Amino acid sequence: MKKILIVDDEQDIVESLKFVLENCDYTCYCAYNGEDGLKLAREIIPDLIILDVMMPRINGFKISRLLKFDEKYKNIPILMVTARSQEEDKLIGEETGADEYITKPFDLDDVVKTVQKYLG
Amino acid sequence: MGNILLISENTDIYNKFKSLLNKEFNNFNFCCNNTSIFDLIEISPIDIVIIDNNLTDINLCLVIKKIKSKIENVQILLLTDETGITEDISKLISGIILKNYSDELIQTTVNSHIRNKEKLDNLSGKNKDLADSLYRLNVLYNTSSQFAGTLDTKKLLMYMIEGLDKSLSFDLTCTISFGFEQEPVLIINSLYDISEELMSALKLRAILNYKSLFKNREIPFEIDDKNLKIVKYIKNPTGKLTFNIFQYDNMFAPIDLGDNFFGCIEIFKENPFSTDDATYFQTIVQQVSLPLKSAGLYKEIIEKNEELEKLERIKSEFISIVSHELRTPLTPIKNALSILSSGRCGTLGENANKFIDMAKRNVENLTSIINDILDINKIEAGKMDFNYKLMNIHSVIENVKTNFDCVAKEHEITFSTNEQENLPDIYADSQRLGQVLTNLVSNAIKFTPRGKSITIHSELKNAQDINTNSCFDSELKTLNGNYIVVSVVDEGIGIKEENLLKAFDKFTQIENSLSRKVGGTGLGLPIAKQLIKAHKGTIWCDSEENKGSSFRFALPVTTEPADNKTIEKELL
Repeated sequence: MKKILIVDDEQDIVESLKFVLENCDYTCYCAYNGEDGLKLAREIIPDLIILDVMMPRINGFKISRLLKFDEKYKNIPILMVTARSQEEDKLIGEETGADEYITKPFDLDDVVKTVQKYLG
Repeated sequence: MGNILLISENTDIYNKFKSLLNKEFNNFNFCCNNTSIFDLIEISPIDIVIIDNNLTDINLCLVIKKIKSKIENVQILLLTDETGITEDISKLISGIILKNYSDELIQTTVNSHIRNKEKLDNLSGKNKDLADSLYRLNVLYNTSSQFAGTLDTKKLLMYMIEGLDKSLSFDLTCTISFGFEQEPVLIINSLYDISEELMSALKLRAILNYKSLFKNREIPFEIDDKNLKIVKYIKNPTGKLTFNIFQYDNMFAPIDLGDNFFGCIEIFKENPFSTDDATYFQTIVQQVSLPLKSAGLYKEIIEKNEELEKLERIKSEFISIVSHELRTPLTPIKNALSILSSGRCGTLGENANKFIDMAKRNVENLTSIINDILDINKIEAGKMDFNYKLMNIHSVIENVKTNFDCVAKEHEITFSTNEQENLPDIYADSQRLGQVLTNLVSNAIKFTPRGKSITIHSELKNAQDINTNSCFDSELKTLNGNYIVVSVVDEGIGIKEENLLKAFDKFTQIENSLSRKVGGTGLGLPIAKQLIKAHKGTIWCDSEENKGSSFRFALPVTTEPADNKTIEKELL
């Protein structure tokens, strides 16, 4: 089974994503802050990462950069979830290396479709 | 009465004239050589000069010229025994006395010239007064124009003091002002430098003067030696002002702004001030009051404005934050509903599905309201990003048509498109244009009853063929060149002529939307207007009550991408 890592500080969102994706026969790992997310990513080497932008301590853009510039993890597709808030706007223009962007509030079916595009 | 000078080398003549004239005139002088003439005219006043034609040591012409240059209006009488006088001399003199004149005739001639001199003096005195007044009027006029030209308190006070200096040439002015800066200030304008002791004395005097203005009233602002700041302007620092200044003539006046006190001014001058000086002083001090009042109000307005701008920024920030906070919980709500309706948690009954759909619909509604608020907020802050690319309007129309087909069917509305073929590509943000068109179509659906139709038209038109009967006519007249015109034509309830302009106005719409039975923030049209404006296009509406509305927008056909920066500026 393909492994998906979901990183978001909003538990409700993580839970709904996990439910839907497990329903589609993916194994889901969850992290609720940037630090744990990065640690988990390096540990389990998932097949895909769903990454929120605004999180305490390490934001999603930073995690994406750290992984994408690392030979070991650079092939993992990253789906960036953005709220397009003002704080995020300040970060725009930074190189993130993310493969896809999903805007909150997103449609679960869209997320599933995007995931399936990468993992089949 | 007059002062007579007789110039002659002949003692007989001297004796004769002295006996003739000395009785009636208070001052009879006599000279017989060059040196004594000029010494004399330096020390004693002379009205009339009788000069003997028959001089040996003295050059007649030269002496007359010199006397005339020294004494204003002086009367020169030539004493001669001939009737023939050279032309040079006759030009220089006021009259002649023939040596064979009778005593009476001599007296009469002299007297008449003395009267002439008096009259001339009188006249030139008046002339001088006139010139003086004219000069002052001029200064007053200049000062007034300077007053009118600024709303800066500091400058106004400077202009006032300058005006006083030009017309009264004072030695010292002491001005107490409360509007100069935040604290009370004593502005010293002095001709000469002021010692420290004198400065303390002046300060004390100014404070006493200030307090004397409020004898029986409450002093509006307590000033003392400590809180009164001094600003000093010295014209000539090499000289020194002494304590004699307190013996100089002085004038004092409050600078009053009607209901509130602004300051007061005292002016010192060594020579006494005339009545005119006093009037002038009052006039200038009164004249500065009005612009000072305006300056105060202006300052207030500026401050209020800054405050408002700050509030506007805070408001914008607040809206942005709140909207995001509102949007965050929407995601899980939406997700939860979507999971439930997908049947992943088991099949639901018909009623349960109905209510989940209701919740879903309302979440969508709330999402679009929040998005609208965020959009208008972004546009107003000039932070809207546009992604201009070469695109064709056909794809936008096609997209919107597909999205709304279902909804139109639900409402039993015939929804069709009528597109001109082969429309040129334009530089535009297709996502934003989609937003505009979506908005227009969803509005049309809201206001169109069952069984009627909605059509989207597109065509290429020249500016001169784009016109309307509505109030947007003047706006369309500014268009120039070729445009793609997209129209959403409905058969709805229509809009009253007087409400047409308001339709694109943010505030009236929000207000109306509260009383309207149809949903939406009413921000859709204002947003559409701004988005079209950013594309350098125009949006307008033709409508007839109960027959339907046609919302149209025109986009310029350009091969150049629009300049993002200028758009941002326009929006600001």
